[in-house]
Amino acid sequence: MQAPGVIQKRTSSKAGDAAVLLLIGIGIYCIGIAAREWQGAYQPSAEIDLSGNALIVYAFFSMGRAFLAYVLSLGFTLSFGYLAAKNRIAGMFLIPLLDIGQSIPVLGFLPGLVLGLVSLFPKTNIGLELSCILMIFTGQVWNMAFSFISSMKSVPKPLYEMADNVGLSKLRQFFRVELPCSATGLAWNSLMSMAGGWFFLTVCEAFTLGEKNFRLPGLGSYVSVAMERGDSRAMFYGAGAMVAVIVFCDFLIWRPVIAWTSKFRLSESHDDFQSIPFMTLLFRESRLARIASSAFWKFKKAFQRVPASRAWKPVRARRRILPASLERMAPIFIYGALGFVVWRLMLFVGGLSWPDWREILLCAGFTGIRVVSAVVLGTLWALPAGIVIGLSPKLTRWFQPLIQIGASFPAPMIYPLALGFFTFLHIPIQIGSALLMLLGVQWYVLFNVLAGAVTISSDLLDSFRLTGVSRKAWWKKLYIPSVFPYLVTGWVTAAGGAWNASIVSEYVFYQGHPLIARGLGALISESTSHGEYPRLVACLLVMVAVVVLVNRLFWSRVYHFAETRYRFER
Amino acid sequence: MTESPAPRIPLLEMKDIHQSFTLSSGQKIKVLQDIHLSLEEGEILALLGPSGSGKSTCLRILSGLIEPTSGKCFRRGEVLLGPNPDVAMVFQTFALLPWLTVGQNVAVGLEPLSLEPDEQESRIKRAIDLVGLEGFEEAYPRELSGGMKQRVGIARALVMERPILCLDEPFSALDVLTAEGLRKEVLNLWRSGKTPVKSIVMVTHSILEAVSMGSKVLVMGSNPGRIRLSVKNDLPYPRDEISGKFKELVENLHGVITEDLIPDTPDWVPPAMRANGVEALPSVHLNEVFGLLDRVHDAGGRADSFSVSQALKQESGQILLMAKAAELLDLVDTPKNAIVLTQLGNQFVQADVNQKKKMIRTQLEQLRIASLLKEKLESSPETEITSEECHEFIRELLPNEPAEKIFDSLIQWGRYGELFGYNSTSKMVYLDHPDLAG
Repeated sequence: MQAPGVIQKRTSSKAGDAAVLLLIGIGIYCIGIAAREWQGAYQPSAEIDLSGNALIVYAFFSMGRAFLAYVLSLGFTLSFGYLAAKNRIAGMFLIPLLDIGQSIPVLGFLPGLVLGLVSLFPKTNIGLELSCILMIFTGQVWNMAFSFISSMKSVPKPLYEMADNVGLSKLRQFFRVELPCSATGLAWNSLMSMAGGWFFLTVCEAFTLGEKNFRLPGLGSYVSVAMERGDSRAMFYGAGAMVAVIVFCDFLIWRPVIAWTSKFRLSESHDDFQSIPFMTLLFRESRLARIASSAFWKFKKAFQRVPASRAWKPVRARRRILPASLERMAPIFIYGALGFVVWRLMLFVGGLSWPDWREILLCAGFTGIRVVSAVVLGTLWALPAGIVIGLSPKLTRWFQPLIQIGASFPAPMIYPLALGFFTFLHIPIQIGSALLMLLGVQWYVLFNVLAGAVTISSDLLDSFRLTGVSRKAWWKKLYIPSVFPYLVTGWVTAAGGAWNASIVSEYVFYQGHPLIARGLGALISESTSHGEYPRLVACLLVMVAVVVLVNRLFWSRVYHFAETRYRFER
Repeated sequence: MTESPAPRIPLLEMKDIHQSFTLSSGQKIKVLQDIHLSLEEGEILALLGPSGSGKSTCLRILSGLIEPTSGKCFRRGEVLLGPNPDVAMVFQTFALLPWLTVGQNVAVGLEPLSLEPDEQESRIKRAIDLVGLEGFEEAYPRELSGGMKQRVGIARALVMERPILCLDEPFSALDVLTAEGLRKEVLNLWRSGKTPVKSIVMVTHSILEAVSMGSKVLVMGSNPGRIRLSVKNDLPYPRDEISGKFKELVENLHGVITEDLIPDTPDWVPPAMRANGVEALPSVHLNEVFGLLDRVHDAGGRADSFSVSQALKQESGQILLMAKAAELLDLVDTPKNAIVLTQLGNQFVQADVNQKKKMIRTQLEQLRIASLLKEKLESSPETEITSEECHEFIRELLPNEPAEKIFDSLIQWGRYGELFGYNSTSKMVYLDHPDLAG
């Protein structure tokens, strides 16, 4: 029988080599300037140069921070996610912890991180840099962790049985089975996570804590300084640089990564052969890269050639770590610990008076109304648009990259432009801030609806075409029910995102002055910059409680309903 | 000085194995009861039984993938803890890693051994040659047909060079011809002695497969899973499937399995419910029953369940459940292994859909379980009860049966006969057309 081997043409070009050398050069340069910055004397508030040339360096600084934060996120995801998915008791602790973590806006982590890390490294900038990176990390990590846990839990059982039968160690099982099964989900969520990290860049790089101003050289600081000074030319430059950074990352990193991970898909459909992404093309063209990669494989092989002395010994069957009675006790400990933490926090916020609390709750109500309006408004346009785009493969091809960039772009960077528009239309900030939220969260709805519309089967479309029902019936009976489960996912993420975004959309600089809408987000921003920590903690408690309770009591039911009623059989 | 022959220690032994699972609802389900078996060198043990008889669980216990609730497994006389290092397993769903090539998938079987590269290569090559996959080393599983994929699964098991090969319904995901071919190849491999495989344990629901491969066939029964019968099969290999002896054994085993489901007595009531005569509805879809009726009708009103099972390409256990359902509704009789249409059954096959619905409704009303539920609904406010109440009601009547499954059948049949309705959103069971009732 003829082997279906493929003979690959090996071509190489000087241009390819040059491109790879260029990339390496840029990398070394970045490390160099980053090291100088980090080792520099402690300078809490860097001078920001609003010229275009400085912007390039700032963009690289911000990218460096975002990638270091991403590395942390990946490490956190793999370790904590593994623990949460594999160990029942750890899962009982960790999954609710992740849920709470993702509902805390970035400002909630800010004071603790900055005050702690700066006092650890009082002489250099490392403390400040680390706290900035960790804040970006808190914007990235959650959905990666959730995605990883859910793919770990959906690894097909026969694969585990096979691994046990063969006798793979836990480590090999992880690299051979579990990690590959999660790769596709991780790649897509890495892209989303980077976007989540960019969103609060202006807050993470430039913030006020008590009486002190902190500012790190970077793209976020650049834009926030431009906003404070009302320099619209610089704002445009900043936004442009951000788009460039996003396109750069998308093109050079995420697309190749996603294309590469598509080979780890468990489903057997053949439609995953898409156009060859730029980066793989580049590496295929470059002789240098090929030499490097073959050297790597040789090294790996040599490394693997460990002596066969270690006789195979059976892996013990999975056993409970704790006896069953203790396992039943675990929830009691968890609730006990939770109660203790809440009690300590209550003591901390005990100094607040009743009017303070009333104001916080009222503000939560206002923000809640804004969140709902933003989601409703977003749905009004994104639902039909997503369906129309998703139904046409041609439109999908055109719009998907654009939507991806739109969704990755941190909306706060164009708030001042939107505010200019609102002043022109005489829209007050109380209403305007809901529209600012909309700028950020509409993408979640659009993205998910589009994903749903793509899955509507052509058989169903044909059957509707044959019955010749009215346009209205198409929407009511086919389109909306088909995308409903996806729409719900979009709503959950959009609503959660809108709550978090309130800290920037209710407290905005416009032409050098802060515009403040009455709401929980504005309250959090003010409490942070005035250093009123008890009030900050109280606001955070309220926000976490609202988000977690709404997720658990409302969204989980809607989600279950959508999944059981409207999900197509797979 | 007496010279007693040393007792031969079996490769594998299961002693007094019980297995039960706890459902999320807290209900305990007994899967295996009182399993004793042993595997000698040179044997092919075929575990034969309908779905739900716990045969796959049994296989997983003796390969050490599941720990039994009670009882012990012995590997060459020693208590087995953890995965059995003597067993190489072949899975029904192949369990291949789609991101690895054929060669790499086979290599996974050697991974924990950390062999010298040369030895590793030659072992992989030998396994691939044995199953006839030469030339496909670089292919990915998604490029292969089902039969070829299972060859990879077998090669991965062979490369481990372990004495016991466990096959978990290895051919049931394949089409009939491919399955037959591969079955013969596995037998030939084992007989040729080119592999270190000494014994095989296989799980199957096909009588034909069990008889053509097994040197011992263990017939398993369900609820809870247990070994009902152990049959030694001395027919010489390669077995001639059209020989009289072969056919006779198939017939015999078939009789044994059938009797479990349809005992040949005139006034038959399901064993579980002999006390109060409430019928445990088998969990089959009415459409399947109708298909069976049509089939029997086409065969002249009488057919034997074995031939029906082959014609409808259904496993025989499923056919028997359908026949049982039809018999409950008085549409067929089941003397011996045959299925015979009753007069009502004959009318039914020729009726239009509305007449059919009416007939099903009348028949349902004569079943104890349906008429009791109807009474209950009539005495309830708004003539409806919650699904939970309904489950409770079934559990009281039939404490030993899975209430969920009976509920599903009851609702599904009742919907067809327009006797009961069920709203899955509000989870309410209600009486359809209450005006017609009583």
